[in-house]
Order: sequence, then structure tokens, then C-alpha cells
Amino acid sequence: MILDFNVNGRDYSIEADARARLIDVLREDLGLTGTKEGCGEGECGACTVIIDGLAVNSCLVMAHQTRGKRILTVESLKQDGELDSLQKSFINNGAVQCGYCTPGMLMSCKALLMRNPNPTEHEIREAIEGNLCRCTGYVKIINAVKEVVKESKAPSEEDHHE
Amino acid sequence: MSNMIMKTPASIDELVMCLKQSDDNTYLLSGGTDLIIKLRNSKIYEGTLIDLTGIDDLKQIKYNAEYIKIGAAATFNQITSNTMLIKHAKCLVQASSQIGSTQIRNAATLGGNIANAFAGADAIPALIALDAMVTILKSDKTTYTKPIDEIIKGSRKNTLYKDEAIIEISIPIANDNCISAFAKLGSRSRVTISKLNIAATAQVKDGTIEAVKIVLGALGTKAFRALSVEKAIENKDISEALYTAFENELVKQVDEAIPNRSSLGYKREAIRGLAEDVYFDLFGSMVRKVKCHD
Repeated sequence: MILDFNVNGRDYSIEADARARLIDVLREDLGLTGTKEGCGEGECGACTVIIDGLAVNSCLVMAHQTRGKRILTVESLKQDGELDSLQKSFINNGAVQCGYCTPGMLMSCKALLMRNPNPTEHEIREAIEGNLCRCTGYVKIINAVKEVVKESKAPSEEDHHE
Repeated sequence: MSNMIMKTPASIDELVMCLKQSDDNTYLLSGGTDLIIKLRNSKIYEGTLIDLTGIDDLKQIKYNAEYIKIGAAATFNQITSNTMLIKHAKCLVQASSQIGSTQIRNAATLGGNIANAFAGADAIPALIALDAMVTILKSDKTTYTKPIDEIIKGSRKNTLYKDEAIIEISIPIANDNCISAFAKLGSRSRVTISKLNIAATAQVKDGTIEAVKIVLGALGTKAFRALSVEKAIENKDISEALYTAFENELVKQVDEAIPNRSSLGYKREAIRGLAEDVYFDLFGSMVRKVKCHD
């Protein structure tokens, strides 16, 4: 069965099993192994990707349900060899330790910032409530998102003062 | 490669064609957050999946003067952001906002939650309290509508035949005196499966509870109306004393519902917390008003 969809800005038309989940196709067929599988039942969020602007567990959606949709994985964040500001902030804030939750955590935060560039701490916490991290204790992750928000606001505030 | 086939209807007419060919190995796939786990855990490698999420009509939330009509494939995040539902079906919005995580709420659907008929489901008690009606499409293209309570048979059991699909959930728009609330208890505060939940709707006039529905979930195999609790507070004036009666009656209801379960000792205490949450969410402002008059 042919699946037509767009992943990270590129159109694909591939043969995919009806029983394959999105994460299976991303990792096995497209070689996009940045997306991780943890629990396989929607608890841990390591497999989070963005489908048409919304954060979704790629282990709980069938690949063929994404026909015609636009999917973003963690590989989409780096542009022209440069990390996304969110990735840089994760590094600067020590928000990555073992790293297994990081791709999912980044995509949940990215989905939030795409919809709401100025989230409150409560909104950040809610956005990552479906992402488990056993290393950092979340505080550094939340700080990383807050820093991105603060930096993205900074230039316009300067403009305003001028 | 598995021996699974996926059908992807784009309209109700195409769905009817798919339903005509349904057999015991046919599965209706909506948000997938329950079914995909079931297919994997049960090692199901053959059969037919019918994906409902490609039918735009099933993803809409519409309303007329009498009903809010929620398409079966509308997600919980669509429900939580719908202004009509926030106004007229607060308990459903509260329940929906506490289901799983952001990722789950972006995928999981109301129709799927009903069909899955899990005893600890959060939306079902809210829908019972709101007198929701469920419209079902048959493979001969006719439809029929039943109260939500009659669709749920027991834990993981619904009354649907293999060639039927839930297409719409209708919630009657009550008058402005109607209020509602939902509360749940799980092993943690968020992203948790209910160990106990409660939904309530009430009509209040001049400080008196004129009509009330109290529905308990995750207590036995299916959610049910706690009639003795309703009777204890119906046609009574809102007060803190009435709260005590409400709480005690709920404890009795738990004793009656699960007399031989090992969880009884925990749940008969836990219900007190939910009683407080839901009573003061419903009537809190009025309890204070009554006190001021004193």
C-alpha cells in the first residue's frame, strides 16, 4: 500500500505495511532514527513528532493515517548546519543528560512554540506533561524553553526602546 | 509484511461501503491511542482497519438551537477549545482536558473513547451526566440514535455490531441555570488513568438545587448514575450542611457498588476528596453567598 506524505519538507511516496506505525516508517523506511521509541504506549513521549502543527506520539498513529499530512521530526530542527535556538538552549541549560527523551522533548516544546511563541511556565509544563525524563528533573528543560522565549522577545523590545 | 489491510474512506458514503464488508476481523481506527496498543499486545497481524480520521464530517463540532453535535473523530483537544462546549458542557471539557497528555489529546477522539468503553474512561461519565445521545451509522446507510448509557455494556464492551460505526455525539443545550463539573483521581495529578471519577450536572434556582445528575466512573465495570446521592440533594437549599449529606451518601454508594473489591477501603475514603472538588466547583460561589446572608 502506497503512502504519500511530507516529512521534514520533503515529499515521499513509499510502500508501507497497513500495520506499520508512523514511528516504524520514520525509523525503518526513511532512516530518521532521531525519533526514539520508549514505551510504545503513549506514556513516555520519546517518539513525539509534529503532524500538521500538533505534537503526537508517533508510536500511537498508523503510518497510513498520516497520508497527505506534513510531519516534522527532530531532524527538521537543524537548518543549514546550524542547530535550532531550542536545541542550543537545551545544551546551554544542561537540559540533556542521557538524551533519550530529548528528541521527543524538543518536538513537544517546538509544537508549543509554533502555536504560542510566548508561553507561561504552566503552558510549558502542560506541553511536556507527556514526556518523561528520568535525568534532568524537568527544571532545566523548562528553563531552556523560557530562555528561548526570552531571547526571541529581546530584539523587538530593543527596537521598541530605540 | 502483515496480512492487514487499511481502508481509508473519505466520506460517509465510502464508510458505508467499507462497513458492508465488515467481519469479525475488522477494526474501526480513530485516534489509535487504544486500538494500536491492543493490536500490538494481542499480536493481531491480519484483518481490516477502517480509518475514520480521513472523513472531514466526523471531525467537526457543530451546533443548532437544541444540540451541540460532536463528530465522532473530533479530538479531545478540539473539545477543550470549543467555546460552545466550554459554555454548555463544562464537565466534558474538564474531563477532556485531563485525559492523557497533550500528544494523546491531539489524537484521541470522543467516538473512540465511547467505543473503547473502558470502565475508567473520563469522557463517558460526563456524557451520561449531560444526557448525550450517540448516533450510529449502519451498513445499509441508515442511522439510529441511542442514549450514551445504552451503548456501553460493560468494561470494554459496547452494543455496536461489526457493520456499525459511531458517527456523532449530541449534547442537548440546557438553559442557563444548568451547571456542571467533573473531577477525577488517579495515581498522580496529570497524565493519569482514573481510579475514580465523578461528573455532575445541576439546575439551580434561587439557591435551590432543582434537578441534579451525579455519575460515578471507574467504580465497577461501567459508569452509572448515583440515584441515592441525587435524591439526597435534590430540591434542597445549597449549604455546607448539604455538602456533608452529599459526601456521606457518596461513601454509601461506593460501599454498595464494590462491596467485595480490595479497593473498597481506598475508594470509600478517596470519594470524599472528589465529593469536595465537585460540590464546591458546582455550588461553591452559592455556598459563600448563602453564608453572607446569614
